[in-house]
Formats: sequence, C-alpha cells, structure tokens
Amino acid sequence: MFTQLAWRNIWRNPRRTAIILTAIFIGVFSMIIFAAFSRGMADGMVDNAIDNLVGHIKVQHPDYRSDPDISHRLPDPNAITAELKSLLPTGAKITPRIRVEGVVANARETAGVEIVGIHPGMEMGVSFIGDAPMDGRLIEDGDKNGIVMGAALADRFQTEVGKKLVLTTQQADGETGSRAFRIRGIYRSEIEATEKAYVFISYTAAEQLMGEKNCATEIAVTLPKEYRNGRLAPLVQKCRDALEPYHVSVNGWKDLMPAISAYLAMFDAFLYIWFVVVFIAMGFGIVNTVLMAVYERMREFGLLKAIGMRPSWIVRMVLGESFFLLAAGCAAGTICGMAVTYYYGHAGIDLGAFAQGVKMWGMSRVIFPAIEIGDVVAANAVVVVLGLVVSIYPAVKAARFTPVETMRQN
Amino acid sequence: MKYRMLCCLVSMIVLFPLSVCAEDGAPIVEKAFEYMRGETSVAVVEMTIQRPDFTRTMVMKSWTKGKTDALFFIESPPRDAGNGTLKKGRDMWIFNPKVNRTIKLPPSMMSQAWMGSDFSNDDLSKTDSLVEDFTHTISNVREENGLKIYDLASIPHEGAAVVWGKLELTIREDGVLLREAFFDEDNQLVKEMITREIANLGGRLFPRVWIMKKAGETERFTQITYKELAFDEALPPNLFSLSSLKTKRR
Repeated sequence: MFTQLAWRNIWRNPRRTAIILTAIFIGVFSMIIFAAFSRGMADGMVDNAIDNLVGHIKVQHPDYRSDPDISHRLPDPNAITAELKSLLPTGAKITPRIRVEGVVANARETAGVEIVGIHPGMEMGVSFIGDAPMDGRLIEDGDKNGIVMGAALADRFQTEVGKKLVLTTQQADGETGSRAFRIRGIYRSEIEATEKAYVFISYTAAEQLMGEKNCATEIAVTLPKEYRNGRLAPLVQKCRDALEPYHVSVNGWKDLMPAISAYLAMFDAFLYIWFVVVFIAMGFGIVNTVLMAVYERMREFGLLKAIGMRPSWIVRMVLGESFFLLAAGCAAGTICGMAVTYYYGHAGIDLGAFAQGVKMWGMSRVIFPAIEIGDVVAANAVVVVLGLVVSIYPAVKAARFTPVETMRQN
Repeated sequence: MKYRMLCCLVSMIVLFPLSVCAEDGAPIVEKAFEYMRGETSVAVVEMTIQRPDFTRTMVMKSWTKGKTDALFFIESPPRDAGNGTLKKGRDMWIFNPKVNRTIKLPPSMMSQAWMGSDFSNDDLSKTDSLVEDFTHTISNVREENGLKIYDLASIPHEGAAVVWGKLELTIREDGVLLREAFFDEDNQLVKEMITREIANLGGRLFPRVWIMKKAGETERFTQITYKELAFDEALPPNLFSLSSLKTKRR
C-alpha cells in the first residue's frame, strides 16, 4: 500500500519530479563518466609506463636501481632466462637488455641518454620500441653499428636517418669506451620525454660497446593479460624464490614504479571523494524537494493521522517516494553513463588538442574510458543510501505533524 | 708499340699531378704531429677567452709527452691558480685545489668546454685520434715563401668514434699546423682553429698564436698565446700521474 501511495504521490507534481529526477540523473551520469574517464586515464598511464621498458616483472642486480651502472649487471643472464622460462606461464615474453647511461654526440650536439641494447625481434609486444612508428627502420639482431633514436632528440641534433652518432659510456672494466653508429631509424613515441631519453642499439653492439659478452643489466618479462594484476604478486614471489641462488632482485611493476602505484591508490580515494562531493550538491536538492512536497501536503498528512495512520507509516511512505525518485534517476543515469562510456571505450577520446599538457603527465593522447563495475555500484550506492538518509529528515517532519496543527495552518 | 708507349708516357704526364693530388697525407700529418708536440714539451701559455660581455685571460703551464700525455696548471689569475688537468691516454682528470679533489672526467663531460674556453675536453683528450682515426688525402699544394703548404681533407674511418664528418688541415712543409677546420656530416663548418705569428719558439718555428672559433661567431673565440716553449727536455719520471696533479709539481 505504501509503495502504491508513494508512487502515485510523486506523480502528483510531475514538474517537480522531473526536475529532481534530472538532478539525480546528471549526478549519477557524471559520476560514472568521470569514474570511467579517470580509470581509462590511469590504465593508459600504467600501460604507457609498463611499455616504457618496464614490463610486468623485471630481474635486476639488487643495486642496479639505485646505481644504474654496468658493474651492477646480472650474473649469468642466460641461466636466469632459462630459469624464468620454466617458471612463467606460456605466453610470457622474456627479453634481456643492456641498459647503461651514456652520452650521444654528433658534430653539433651532445646529450646524456640511456643506451639500451635490445634484441629487436623480442621487443615486439613487450616495449614500445618493438612497434613504435618510425622513420627508417628498427635495427636488426646483430647489427653492429646501427642505432635508433627518438624524433625529439633527432630534431635537437639536426640529424636524420643514415647519419652518424658517437656513443660514449663507461665500459665493463671501468674504462671509457666510445663507438660510432649510423642512424637506422628515428622513432616516435607518445611521450616526448621518452624520445629524448633512449637510444637503441642491438644487443650485440651493446656488448661490444661495453667490452663484455653477455652483460645484460636486466631481464624484462611481459605477461599475458590475466596475470597482470591480481595473479602477479604470487608469480613474482615464485620467481624470487627460484632465483634466490643468483642474488638478484625480482620485482613486479607495482614495485618498479612506486610513484604510479601510489598514484593509483590516490586515484581511488579521489574518486570516492568526488562521488561524495557530487552527492552533497545533489543531496541539498533532494532534501529541499522532499521537504517542499511534505509541507505542501501538511493538511493531507494531518488528515491521514486523524483517520489513524501511524507516524512510522508516514515515514515509510515519504521514504518510499524518495526511493522511487532516487531509483529512477540512478537507473537512467547509469544506463546513459554506461552507454556513453561503452561508445567512447571503443572509439577513444582524443586529447590531441591538449597534447602538450597531457604529454607532461605521461598520459596517452587517446584515452579509452574503462567501466569498472565497482565504481558503478559505488556511485549508485552512494546516491541511493545517502539519498534515503537525507530524506529521513523531511519524512520525520511529516510524521510529527499533528492533525490539530495542520488544521490551524490553513 | 711506339704508339702504345707514347700513350703510356702521355697518360703518365697527364695523370701525374692528379696522382699527387690524391696522395696519402698521413705522413704529413704524422710529421706535423711530431713536430708540433716534440717528444716532450714544456710551455707557458696565455689563454684569452673572448665573449661579447667579458674577456678572461689566464696563464697556464703545460707539459706534454708523446702523443697522449699532458698536464696543465693554471698559474694566474690567483683565483684559479692551481687548477690542473691531467690527460693520460684518452682519460682526463681535473684537480681543483679549493676542494682538494681530483675528478675523472666522465664521458658526459668530455664534449663540454675545457675551462670555459672554446676548446672542448674532447679536443684535448682525443689529440691522437687525428693520426689514428682519419684517412688524410692531399687536396691542394701551394708554395709560400719557398715552403710547400698542403691542404688536406681528412675523412674519419667508418666505425671510428669521431663525430666530425670531415676535417680540413693546412700544414706547412716543415710541419707547422696552420689551420684545422671541423665539419659536420653535411659538410657544414662547425669550428675552426687557425694559428698565426710563426716565430722561433723552443728552437723551432712554431705558431705563437692559436685561435679557436665556432663557425658563424665573431665575438666569441679563444686565443692561446705561447709565452715560453721548450721541446725535448727531460721531464721528471711520473710527472703524468694523479699524484703530481694533486701536489701541483712545477
């Protein structure tokens, strides 16, 4: 009976109902869109960061991260690779790299860069360089004097494919080594800082530059999709235990990029704060509308009381009214929000217009909003539960009216 | 048969100057290198760094030995006195008396300016590269005051760790270096060193003034003027060592 009464009551003033429904709709809609957008942004950022020569699991010398020096190279990288192969699920891609700091120079310019010796064939689908858009071409395995540099760096050096660069770095024995390279390709990356940070040479060339065979400084692992999040930690632990005798450090991407993981945690908190802020704005609207609806019907409540309706029933009726409003608004908002994010989740939102600013934050240029069921549930729960809580006030008000009081009002 | 010999003779006559032009210039460069550095050398030079808004002059004492070893100390101004540079092989160390420390120059600093001048650390550290990393060909020979002057085009060996696309050297017959120009791979001039005022220094003819200038600059250059110079003096053993860099041996 209460539901029926409540349902009928809300349609007695369709205009007011429409306004409050719109408010709830916009609130929920914006919560979902915002959540999806920021999730998409965060995902893009994480993907970019992992692509940026990080990988999901990385094996390094324990001191390499604090002092990226060739003397902190891996002991016996071949054995470690073989060990990893036996531990990791099929589909995992394992690639060793030689990464050292060095200097790249041509006749006019010099820049400090990170020299990365890679197996070009193995980088496909592992790091950005494997399939980066490129002028010229990527170096090949065993290329002794080929180098690939970033477009931003090439701009600064006023150089192009086919020209010469000289790399200088500290060799494995501590001496200074330098070699000449020819530019085979100039890659572009989403982030300009990346283009300036890395030059790539083949693993063989890097070995020669370092004057040491098999001097990989890291082994990076890219995992199949299902292992990337929840199932990552046990896998890392398994590798850590197995590689114990080599005295190496094994880390998952969350440990490798503490700034990113901290940012992700902050993101969650930030999202819920946003939900509450949106709700507070909306909450006042709800209280106001329901209160108005209640005061307008004072006489009616008095009458109901007079014919024997219990105060608790009145509370239930008023709460029922707000519940219908909230539920309808939430449903509409959720459906529209999901539809819009679904569309953009495939098409992507191009932030090309703000590319400069976006790049600075290490985000992708195109963002694919991602719906997370948890966020949708949270948004709806916040609105419905808190909506009902704030409606208690007008409901109790309504229940307190005495018949005599209401008669006297008019 | 006669005709053939004639042909041969004609072609020899015609081609002879050409073959001179394409002659290997390595011996000339090697000779110049030895001439300019001697087995050992001791010098006092004044280095003037000219900039649009200031001019800085310092006096330095230097010792060199063979192709690769060198030691420099600043003598004045007093503020910089005692700053030293040691070069052994291709490695360089600098010493600053204020912090009483020697620092081995890392690769990242090799292409930076040496003591704020237009010379880079690389110019100093890779002196022997000129002999080892380049193919020198004589592009022109002319005569001045009875001495032949060779223009050489020096192309770095493929694979040599040299940033330049080409060097141009002008060397006098007796081994005096007159000009060294550095070009990038597009054959654009990057910087140029010229020497002037050839005088009798340390018992041989030697340019007193050396000027290093970046291409397109008129107000910025570095000039080195030799005040004293002596060749082939006996140097104390272990002069080119870190300890003498620290103790500022004179």
